Amino acid sequence: MTALLWTLAKVGAALGFGMNWAAFLGWVERKQSAVMQDRIGANRADILGLRVIGLFHIIADPIKLFTKEDFVPAGVRPAFHAMAPAVSLGFPLLALAAFPYGGTVEFLGRSWSLQPVESPVGLVLVLAMVAMGIHGVVMAGYASNSYYGLLGGLRGASQMIAYEVCLAATLAGALFLYGSLDLAEAVAWQTRMIAGVVPAWGAVLQPVGFVLFLVAGTALTKRTPFDLPEGESEIVGYHVEYSGMKFGMFMMTDLIESVVVACLAATLFLGGWHVPFLPVDAFSALGPMLAGPAMACVMVASFTAKVALVLFVLMQVRWTLPRFRFDQLLDLGWKNILPLALANFLLTAWAVYLAKSWGVSPWR
Amino acid sequence: MAKITLNGRPVEAADGTLLIDVAKQAGVAIPHYCYHPALGNPGNCRMCLVEIKGAPKLMPSCRVRVADGMVVSTESPAVAAAQSGELELHLVNHPLDCPVCDQSGECGLQDYYMSIGRYKSSMVEDKRHFEKRKPVGPRVMLDQERCIACTRCVRFLAEVSKTHELGMFGRGHQERIDLAPGKTLDNPYSGNVVDICPVGALTDRDFRYQVRVWYLDRSDTVCPGCSRGCAISLHTSTQRPWHNGARRAARIKPRFNPEVNGYWICDEGRYSYKALDRDRLGKVLKLKPSRAELSWDAAFSEVSSRVKGLLEDHGPQSLAVVASGALSNEDWRSFKKLFVDSWKLVNFAFDPAPDQAGEEDALLRRRDKVPNLKGGAALGFGDQIKSLPWESLAHSIEAGRIKGLYVVDRDLFGVWGAKTPGLLEGLELVVFQGPWKGSTGDLAHYRLPATAWAEEDGGFTNFEGRSQGYRAALPPVGDAQPDWRIFEGLLAGLRAGRAE
Amino acid sequence: MAVTVRPVTRPERDLAVQVYIVEVLKGLGVTFRHFFVNLGRHAAALAGVKAAPGAVTIQYPEDPPALGGRARTRHRILRRSDGSPRCTACLLCETICPARCIRITAEDSPAVVIEKRAKTFEIDLGLCVFCGNCVEACPVDAIRMDTGDLDIPAMDRRSMIWDLEKLMRDG
Repeated sequence: MTALLWTLAKVGAALGFGMNWAAFLGWVERKQSAVMQDRIGANRADILGLRVIGLFHIIADPIKLFTKEDFVPAGVRPAFHAMAPAVSLGFPLLALAAFPYGGTVEFLGRSWSLQPVESPVGLVLVLAMVAMGIHGVVMAGYASNSYYGLLGGLRGASQMIAYEVCLAATLAGALFLYGSLDLAEAVAWQTRMIAGVVPAWGAVLQPVGFVLFLVAGTALTKRTPFDLPEGESEIVGYHVEYSGMKFGMFMMTDLIESVVVACLAATLFLGGWHVPFLPVDAFSALGPMLAGPAMACVMVASFTAKVALVLFVLMQVRWTLPRFRFDQLLDLGWKNILPLALANFLLTAWAVYLAKSWGVSPWR
Repeated sequence: MAKITLNGRPVEAADGTLLIDVAKQAGVAIPHYCYHPALGNPGNCRMCLVEIKGAPKLMPSCRVRVADGMVVSTESPAVAAAQSGELELHLVNHPLDCPVCDQSGECGLQDYYMSIGRYKSSMVEDKRHFEKRKPVGPRVMLDQERCIACTRCVRFLAEVSKTHELGMFGRGHQERIDLAPGKTLDNPYSGNVVDICPVGALTDRDFRYQVRVWYLDRSDTVCPGCSRGCAISLHTSTQRPWHNGARRAARIKPRFNPEVNGYWICDEGRYSYKALDRDRLGKVLKLKPSRAELSWDAAFSEVSSRVKGLLEDHGPQSLAVVASGALSNEDWRSFKKLFVDSWKLVNFAFDPAPDQAGEEDALLRRRDKVPNLKGGAALGFGDQIKSLPWESLAHSIEAGRIKGLYVVDRDLFGVWGAKTPGLLEGLELVVFQGPWKGSTGDLAHYRLPATAWAEEDGGFTNFEGRSQGYRAALPPVGDAQPDWRIFEGLLAGLRAGRAE
Repeated sequence: MAVTVRPVTRPERDLAVQVYIVEVLKGLGVTFRHFFVNLGRHAAALAGVKAAPGAVTIQYPEDPPALGGRARTRHRILRRSDGSPRCTACLLCETICPARCIRITAEDSPAVVIEKRAKTFEIDLGLCVFCGNCVEACPVDAIRMDTGDLDIPAMDRRSMIWDLEKLMRDG
């Protein structure tokens, strides 16, 4: 019973983590782009004259989206049209339940895992959920009774399929090192140190894989420079067929997918919740009642900080690069990232084989 | 045969034909205002000047008859200069109020200015001023300033309608069209002067400011006003629904057919378009015993089973059919198939009664105001199948011999007057089918909406036996269907009933 | 005038460019530099230092933009000296309007000098594309787009449609 409640609480917290990130990113998106473009950005929402650098836009935006006219264009297939944003948003949200937001802490005489869904195939779950999001995109394109919407949906589908494959391939090298699809184990593996000074994070051991992963991940989120389904200067796609919160859900989908990609990057390449040089029992001095919660807080904070860092970089990339052409996008995926990722994987496999056969283990 | 050379091209024509007509047949349009094939060639507008080899000056082609060996040019610089100069003279006193003129878009002055004019006006003096807005009759508005004095209207009223309402008054600078003293332009063909006026001097008061002509769609069709069957063009305004008082049909113009109506139509036919947007039926309704909206399929099966029951109980004499000559040839064929061949009915009434009779004259108008009795006659309605006299039909209903009535597009109040409700009250089944609301339709058990002539393809046979086809100009109102489809639907409904 | 030809050489795209990653990093360098420099300036402005603005934005409603003389803004219908609208309901603006946002119906005018006048005249500002063709088409200079008014939003589509009375308000 406690276990079930704890799992439900964790899943709820994971969803909250994703939703709050999405809301916050909506503000970050505008504010960050404004600052780097010599503008001011969202700053007008106020409560009793208090503006707080526009932070209240996080509240104002959903209020606006929820109260706006929910316009359904003529000739749409109503059921699919209404379902598409939910499908699009729901699956990436579910993926968030699989990440280890922290390790295991001791509290009240038992150990509490900070991973909502402790699955030995957590990574597969994440990739599967992200892949399911394609259905929402295709559905929206199909249901909206618009050539451009359909074109956007098809673009989105081929793009997401291409980059799903790439994403899995870029992760293969790292996974070969960790020897498991369990995300918690992947993090546990990364807590070791190379020669006692450098943490054995995926980014250190798999730099090529990490860079390729970031590119493929950006493409998967359908955001600039890979925002082909929307492409607001050419087709605008199915987004223009939606209004109010249904449109907002598509916006959130892209942001949630960014969070998922950032979580994946943090978990598999940046050591997850791991804080270098901080022993697991660092807070034992605080006594049994405080040591566990304190450690949990540090772990979650560390994980969140890493996610924030990745999101900051993704956001900066989104406001720096122009959109790819569709053929360039597919070329990049199938002809460049996929072969490079596979080469990286083979090289890793060969190195691990050699290390094993020579009995060398550079990290202890 | 005369062999002439027109713009360097050999053309053959019958001796004595007017040069302007020969050119038109050869595909060379010579500008003209005063000449009209049906109204003679006074040659006063001078727009049709052409160069004929050997002639010392340019010749008006509407006054020259072709002769063998003639060498004619309609494109030489001299011709172009002369026509452009003539046009400038025509426009000297023209007010150029095209933006508010109803003719703009179909105006001879505009057309020729853009094709052969394009000069820079040398007129600097004030233009002359006459009456701008003079209602010369109930249907026609005269603007004396816009007039170019081609006298087409005067000639029409003198030669065709022979009523002489308009004439030329004053001389030189003061010459203008005006009403003859004590007259009003109210003859039954007065609308034609608007059609023949090449400029905006005579405009239609009914069409005035309703919609600009460039928003109109034109469909070739046949006038349903009487058994003459004049060829007409129905102009509809559907692109911008707020124009034309939100009505779809905007006006009727005559269409040239030398065999039937020539260039003219009567005013009665000209304004018959108004019915198309007034009191139309669009819903399949069951009115008795309780009001309910039906689908076509339900109506077909209900009506045909009610009819079947009636015929089984009382025999084929118990159902009478009242029809109108407004049915198209196609409708008549299905009409016969359903009522005569399938239901084996014997009581029909389709003769024009007072409701379908009107004025007649020697020019176009006919007494029977329905277009297609002849189409029914071709199928035997009239010879083999006699129309029941209206009085005896009323007697049969009163005597209870006729228990059901199927009315096709006919308002019985026009036939029987005030006693109609009493007659229809006692009947077991009254079916009304037609495009227009009417008191008869309100008394029916079933009211089936049919399309009007402008909303269906079809054909009318006029009193001389000449068949003319027409095309749909508008979409049907609501659920309305062509009459023949309703007959076929009932036929299918009855067959389905039998199969059970 | 003789045709002059200026040969343009395509920039060499060496491997470093084609790999793109280096170029991406260069670009990110620029945007990161702007981001952090501006962040510092914004922080300084918050702290009260006015010297270094982090933005060059016009604060719109408080600080109205200077419109160019040719700027096309919300329409108005001009009046004659007697106060009646100048429009003669010729429908040329309605005809040329590419957005079909003008709807006019006409009627006889009581004065004979002006034969025709507008019975209703509506512009759907929600559909208008501000191309100015109506102004060009008008033969009597009855419609202009020189109000300088750009604040025309409304809470529903219906109130985006302006009738003659509203359009003549500043005629």
